[in-house]
Amino acid sequence: MMTFIKKHKLITVAALAYIITLIISPEIFINAIKQNGAFLLEMLEILPPIMVISSLISVWVPNDVIIKGFGNTSGIKGKLFSILIGAFSAGPIYAGFPVAKTLYDKGASVGNVVIILSAWAVVKVPMYLVETSFLGAAFANTRYLLTIPLIIFLGYLMQRFVKREDIPVSELDRKITEIYDQLPQRHCGACGYTDCHEFAKAVNEGEADMSECKILSRSSDKPGNRPLDT
Amino acid sequence: MTTIILIAIAAGFFLWSLIKSRKKTKESLKIAKGLFISTAIQIVGVLALVSLFLAIIPPELIRRVMGGTNEAVSVLWGSLIGTVTIIPAFIAFPLSKQLMEAGATLTAIAAFLTTLTMVGFATFPIEKEYFGTKFTVYRNLFSFFAAISVALLIGVIL
Repeated sequence: MMTFIKKHKLITVAALAYIITLIISPEIFINAIKQNGAFLLEMLEILPPIMVISSLISVWVPNDVIIKGFGNTSGIKGKLFSILIGAFSAGPIYAGFPVAKTLYDKGASVGNVVIILSAWAVVKVPMYLVETSFLGAAFANTRYLLTIPLIIFLGYLMQRFVKREDIPVSELDRKITEIYDQLPQRHCGACGYTDCHEFAKAVNEGEADMSECKILSRSSDKPGNRPLDT
Repeated sequence: MTTIILIAIAAGFFLWSLIKSRKKTKESLKIAKGLFISTAIQIVGVLALVSLFLAIIPPELIRRVMGGTNEAVSVLWGSLIGTVTIIPAFIAFPLSKQLMEAGATLTAIAAFLTTLTMVGFATFPIEKEYFGTKFTVYRNLFSFFAAISVALLIGVIL
């Protein structure tokens, strides 16, 4: 229970807030619950396909394709692609995080990730139509024309201020790195994989077992700092 | 409508993947499951808090503070409300129209709409999980000023 609270602070805070609200004003409580329904529906419609798409990207799209399209040297084309991804996306900005992170892990630049997220939030084709009908074409056009250059500038700013080492590695990479750190890192290939990194990936997926590492199974020394003559 | 397209794209991509390689598809499903579980719990928490906020502070109150005649004050309110909440578009646009009819300036409405979607106080914990604290703080801060700039420029142009 304690670990659950620690791990999910947010939902615990929310639960407490709801209990307090119920005691103070049941009316507000009911309104809030009603509001939740609409939100949850949106989330359940959008999140699963988003997760499926981003995990398929991480499995199928080779890193160099992403680096070429969205990497540091992708230039104007990369910025245009980034805006287009955002423009044709669906859902609120939180749905954009997993997609943007997947692209980032595969080599997209910080600047382009920011452009994707900002465009995801503001530059949207279907939203534009709704905005035009409610607030008029002049308002919507001006807002979009001002926002797009600003988003590109925002990407440039973020690229300057936030470096790659500021951004945490994803859960998957972290697990693989954890396994990799335990290996001798001599890349002997005796296990049948090309190097220790490939072996770590295989262990993580359950295809291989740590005991298959020929060097590790031969000695019980602390891995990684063993003298060469053992 | 976009949701249907999104689901169609996901389904198409998934089928293609399944035909090409069952193993890779399984692998991707495992990743998707992990992503969904870790994110969904947090999103539910965020949405619950935002719902509560919106229930306590009803649209009438937003209309009152943003529809004022003092432009600077209403822009400030517009951007603050936009920053702390996430309101679905189907509520935000009609609300903006009501605001306009109630006398809110275009600048205030633009500030409200742009911060609403781009700056996320509520989504901060989720963004932090994915991109770290530094990225999240900088992006939200820069976006806030960008949103204010857009709003002020709209005020000048229109």
